[in-house]
Amino acid sequence: MADFNTSIKDQGAVSIINLKGYLDAHTAPILENNFVDLIDKNRFNIVVDFKELAYISSAGLGVFMAYIEKIRESKGDIKLSGMTEKVFNIFDLLGFPLLYEIFKSEDEAVKKFIE
Amino acid sequence: MLDNENLKVKRNLTALVEFSRVINSSLDLNFILNNVLLTCLGKFLATKGLVALKINNQLVVKAYKGIAQESIIQFPEIEVTENCNLSEKLNDYLILNNLIASEKISSSNECVGIVCLGEKLNKQTYIKDDLDFLKTILNIAASAIQNSLIVEELKLVNRELDSRIQRLSSLFELSKEFGLFSESTKVTRLLIFSLIGQFLVQKYALLRFEGNDIEVIEPKIPVEELLSNIRKYNYYKIDTSINKHQIESHYPELFSMGIEVIVPMQIQGKTKGLIILGKRINNSEYTNADIEFIFSVGSLAIISLENRRLFLEALEKQKLEEELDLAREIQRNLLPQKIPDYKSFDISAVNISSKQVGGDYYDIIELDKDDCVVAIADVSGKGVPASLLMANMQAFLQVICRQNTPLDEATGLINDLISSNTSDGRFITFFWGILNDITKTFNYVNAGHNPPLLIRNGTITKLEIGGMILGVMKTMIPYKSESIQLQTDDVLVMFTDGISEAMNRRGEEYSDERLEKLSLEVVNENADSILKKIQCEVQNFTDGANQSDDITLVIVKVK
Repeated sequence: MADFNTSIKDQGAVSIINLKGYLDAHTAPILENNFVDLIDKNRFNIVVDFKELAYISSAGLGVFMAYIEKIRESKGDIKLSGMTEKVFNIFDLLGFPLLYEIFKSEDEAVKKFIE
Repeated sequence: MLDNENLKVKRNLTALVEFSRVINSSLDLNFILNNVLLTCLGKFLATKGLVALKINNQLVVKAYKGIAQESIIQFPEIEVTENCNLSEKLNDYLILNNLIASEKISSSNECVGIVCLGEKLNKQTYIKDDLDFLKTILNIAASAIQNSLIVEELKLVNRELDSRIQRLSSLFELSKEFGLFSESTKVTRLLIFSLIGQFLVQKYALLRFEGNDIEVIEPKIPVEELLSNIRKYNYYKIDTSINKHQIESHYPELFSMGIEVIVPMQIQGKTKGLIILGKRINNSEYTNADIEFIFSVGSLAIISLENRRLFLEALEKQKLEEELDLAREIQRNLLPQKIPDYKSFDISAVNISSKQVGGDYYDIIELDKDDCVVAIADVSGKGVPASLLMANMQAFLQVICRQNTPLDEATGLINDLISSNTSDGRFITFFWGILNDITKTFNYVNAGHNPPLLIRNGTITKLEIGGMILGVMKTMIPYKSESIQLQTDDVLVMFTDGISEAMNRRGEEYSDERLEKLSLEVVNENADSILKKIQCEVQNFTDGANQSDDITLVIVKVK
């Protein structure tokens, strides 16, 4: 089974989740736990960085759908950054750019929260 | 003058070559159309113009300059023929917008679209030369436009393909994850994630049917409202997917909750649950292909869920069977392990349980050196409840035998106890008696049991004295006992209805008559042999038919 792991770092009021590897049905619960932890800690400004993510499946995308409402209700947001063309293509296919702000780099996404 | 003309031709040619180079260097339709339009406007000093392309036999404005958007919106929707002959409607539009020159964009085999241009800035009319030049430009542009249209279409096809591949890989991935050993919560969670990720949904619920119950899994829809609305319909009969329009017309309450698609989760054509999804955040409707996908994913999930349920059930059943084996072992140990030897009596007994634990019981309890209790009982019903009551009865019998209470009185006490221990209409038929080894007397009480047979000199006496069956109510009328003086060669046949009612494949019972007849025939044998012969004949009679009841048989032969 392909590997997937995440690392979380805080930058002021923004939490950044870095994804690495394959985010699919098998590994989706890992990212889910990250969101649950951050919500528990009332950290609702979240940037998810994809630059080291090789693949995402619809189950992986589902995790973003499952928590976005709660996070936005709490005046936060999930912003996405650093997607490879292949990963962006999947987001684009399913219409995610309509719902999520997607940035080239992690820094741009973080900056958007601070503005 | 001629030089001037030559210069003009040369300039035109240079412009055409440059134009050709630019528009053929790109496959971007907008870039090409923009260039065509700008070139025309520049060349003829026109202030406005539009390009309309033939798409699905309709002219659609793809680029425009100097024309207000409101006017573009009014561009007539008209079917066009192969060679783009302008209709009256279009002519009216062109006149209204002061687009005085128009020319077809024609490739070698068909008309691709039209270009319409407004007045020249210097108010001069378009002369034949102008129109010829326009025609030339558009001829050059036609193939570039056609190429870019093909590329656009290819892009669309590619995207469609990407989308299909993405769905297939989702299905493949889920089928891998929905293994037999997946926790059911994991399966439902992955199902939800995949669906909401695939379709951008925020309102959803999974329903799973368990008999008349509906289990609601991971709802993001008010549950009470959903359930009360869905129960208004024969929800378990939903066997095909229901789209937005069908929900709107057939399930208005659900539609007003924002539900846009209902897809059954089926196993072998039986609906085991429903996937309910609200509207897609991007406002597009669920297509048939989408619904097909949801159905496939749902089927994968429900099969996994059902497999797991069946697996757990099998596991549970196995555990229960092991426990029943243990219970049977315990029950077997409750029966006498060894029948004591007596001077005056030859005793033999057998108990064969039809299920793993049964409700038949017999006992032989030594009261003292000379007295011995022989008892036989049949608890109504079978299985664990019957065997529990039987164990209860056995314990009490052991205790009361130590109390030196007269048999009739003791029977009343046993009845009181059993009555207070049964609440579900269970009862026990019971027969017991005390054999005295010295006097050869037999003092017995029959509490509603099949009367044992006393066989003496070829005649049968049925031992019926006693009272009502045990466990129905507290003892109101005391039990009676009878004392019999036994003689050598007397035979006592005690049995449960498992013998007399043993059934063959034709549904006939072995019957009291057959038992009595056989008993008379075998009366000269010893106890063990009588027992074996009766047992054997009953088995022959049933001839492999399922033994429906416990069989218990106790034979006492007087020496």
